[in-house]
Amino acid sequence: MTELVEEFYDEPTDYVEDEALGQIVDAMWSSYFAHTEFLLPSFEQHDIEGDILCASVTISGARPGIVTVSVERPLATPLAAALLQEDGELEDEDVYDSLGEVANIVGGNIKALVPDAGPLGLPVVSTAKPLHGASDRLAARLDANWQGQWLTFEVWLAGGSENGQG
Amino acid sequence: MRALVVDDSRAMRKIIAGALRKLGYETVEAADGAEALKALEAGPLPDLATVDWNMPVMDGLTFVTQVRANRDYRALTLMMVTTEAEHGQIVRALAAGAHEYLIKPFTVESLEEKLSLLGLLPEGVQA
Repeated sequence: MTELVEEFYDEPTDYVEDEALGQIVDAMWSSYFAHTEFLLPSFEQHDIEGDILCASVTISGARPGIVTVSVERPLATPLAAALLQEDGELEDEDVYDSLGEVANIVGGNIKALVPDAGPLGLPVVSTAKPLHGASDRLAARLDANWQGQWLTFEVWLAGGSENGQG
Repeated sequence: MRALVVDDSRAMRKIIAGALRKLGYETVEAADGAEALKALEAGPLPDLATVDWNMPVMDGLTFVTQVRANRDYRALTLMMVTTEAEHGQIVRALAAGAHEYLIKPFTVESLEEKLSLLGLLPEGVQA
């Protein structure tokens, strides 16, 4: 009996789920974006079409993974302006840095939920979502609307089944 | 009072430095631990350093360790301000010599509370 219990708990467990991701994003939004329009989470998936900017941070360790935030390209500048509370023109460097910091904050808090996690990588911002390995699974996803445009937060972890099922 | 804000993110440096300036601090910024050590060498010694953990060149834990190894910097209070939220990481930072720990995302109020605990709220400011 004991062996069976131990075997069960040796199986990969889904520590990161949509609800946890939602709580982390909500905490970040209330801390840094409370002076702006509400972030409106969606129950449905909204794949971003057209140009995107995607910021990502990697989680190393026993169950490596990657945390991403993707936005429609036109949303990146107002998002950075809101984070920085700046009204004027922003340089691209500020826009990329701000989006990277959003991914960093979400990624750091997600990392705390992943067992035996190693160091968090530095944020990377690109015009495409990162590629995933065949065994990676989508552990959590949050689609949200802000100022009429879509943001997508995703957590991919190695191994296990998709979206916490099974 | 003076504060050194150490973070590789320009956005986060701006947020933290802005909050500290509203409390009456003069602020200096550094993008990594090595740059922060240079700022300390250049002087004057700040009262407080807020330190991110994950940074290129020199990370925050290494910076804290190096500061604590230098007796000239004994008066400097170190506060980790980081997304590293695991209990083990907090223990590591405190063991290395950090005085306080603030997890991102944080509110301005929570920053003030930490400064109050450290006795580093400028006169006339209440948490």
